[in-house]
Amino acid sequence: MTSANKFRESQQSQHAQRGARGSSVSLMDKWRGYKHHHRTTLQSSFAKMLREPLQTLLTVVVIAIALTLPTALYISVENIRQLSGGVESSAQMTVFVKKGARSGAIEKLGEQLGELPGVASVSYISAEAALEEFNALSGFGSALQYLDENPLPEAFLVQPLLLNDSAKLVTEIRQIALVEDVQLDMEWLRRLDALLDMGRKLVLALGAALGVGVILVVGNTIRLAIQSRRDEIVIVKLVGGTDAYVRRPFLYTGVLFGFFGAFIAALMLTGLGLWLEPSVNTLASLYQSQFRLTGLGISGFITLLGIGGAVGLAGAWISVGQHMRDIKPR
Amino acid sequence: MIRFDNLSKRYTGGLEALRNVSFEMDGGEMAFLTGHSGAGKSTLLKLLMLIERPTAGNLLINGKNLSRLSKSRIPFYRRQLGVVFQNHQLLFDRSVFENVALPLQVSGYTPGEIGRRVRAALDGVGLLDREKSSPIELSGGEQQRVGIARAVVHKPKILLADEPTGNLDPQLSAEIMALFKRFQDVGVTVLIATHDIDLINKMNLRIMRLNQGELELDGLAHDIS
Repeated sequence: MTSANKFRESQQSQHAQRGARGSSVSLMDKWRGYKHHHRTTLQSSFAKMLREPLQTLLTVVVIAIALTLPTALYISVENIRQLSGGVESSAQMTVFVKKGARSGAIEKLGEQLGELPGVASVSYISAEAALEEFNALSGFGSALQYLDENPLPEAFLVQPLLLNDSAKLVTEIRQIALVEDVQLDMEWLRRLDALLDMGRKLVLALGAALGVGVILVVGNTIRLAIQSRRDEIVIVKLVGGTDAYVRRPFLYTGVLFGFFGAFIAALMLTGLGLWLEPSVNTLASLYQSQFRLTGLGISGFITLLGIGGAVGLAGAWISVGQHMRDIKPR
Repeated sequence: MIRFDNLSKRYTGGLEALRNVSFEMDGGEMAFLTGHSGAGKSTLLKLLMLIERPTAGNLLINGKNLSRLSKSRIPFYRRQLGVVFQNHQLLFDRSVFENVALPLQVSGYTPGEIGRRVRAALDGVGLLDREKSSPIELSGGEQQRVGIARAVVHKPKILLADEPTGNLDPQLSAEIMALFKRFQDVGVTVLIATHDIDLINKMNLRIMRLNQGELELDGLAHDIS
């Protein structure tokens, strides 16, 4: 039996070799083996996904859609916020003039306001005009007839150039002797802010719900993978594979699913942005606005990939933790 | 090397698979485990592989009590074992080489080291030229030899085999047994569960016979018969 002799020789020579360099694997070799194992695990996980292209594609597309919806909503909210930032600069302030001021002084005040830095425009609303408007809009017109005199003050509407300047403007204008009070007309801005706040919460809720959806989809895919590779898991465990070793390919698969799903979602969102851009620009130009659509961007693209990978990992982790327990030996 | 100390195993269903089994095997010893099916041979091997845990008694390997081994240490214990399974348990979606490489991969060997050791092991069982084949292309005897190569590729101190010649003809069985004998010659402790009486009698080695969970006989083949 030549093979027998050969075996004995090789066994003995290797024993001698081992004696010379120690029987355990060196730390450096272990690290190299570990790195190699991670790389090949990633490669084989990817290869296994490609082996069932249709199934893989379906899963990836489901994940992509689940990631696209909240991200699209998020981008919309961010754009509206940006848009509102543009409109904010048109926030007006109302300057009330002290009672009994002479018309000449009021005229002068109007000029003074117009010359202040940061003021875009000033318009005068006389007490009579204000009363008329109040009459027309409030429906208390008849009640006003019982008043001896017009209770409304003379006023100016001041349009600041930039919203950021308006606070400074308010204090400046207050210091003018003839000015009774200044009111910043921000009510509608607060409403928009509240609306945007709601939008952001909606993004979070939708994101969380669909994130759970992605976790379930990935979890189910991993569950099927574990079932179909049951024999392999048993053998790996019997030859001394640690739980981490057994888990690893499935975790990689989960990350890959999440990653590819996010990648397709990011592509779809980028495509959507490019598709919408001309219409948005036309609309903006009709409103003489400088508004430009802000898409996903490179950092958004990368963040989305990260989120996808993390959610995929979470799904795989949960699934592996649950289904590995059923496989003997433990 | 291996010491069973009054070991009993009762399954949750109530079946008592092993009852007060005590024996000892020295390092480099080779022995057969025999008995009818259901006598407890497989249970005994499963206890050694830590697939099952004993319900009473102690199992010591190299003086270490396995019942004190934590769950996280089990894989490292299993790396000291080589196991040949009855139905060889090869993975058909991988080549012969990859099957044999598995115990080395889980222990974190480098690719170069894995290549060297796998080829040495395949050479030892006479299948070096089949490393790229799929196990499905091999005959039953060849598959079993691949299983043996996988069991010894990481040079275990203990080699366990569960009916390694189960489906093989006498000639192939004899070859497989000769293979096991060679591992014993290089210092491996070999324990083989089998009911192939003819084969055992030819080899005059230690025999332990189980009967309904009890160790009925323990001695050299020629002394017993």
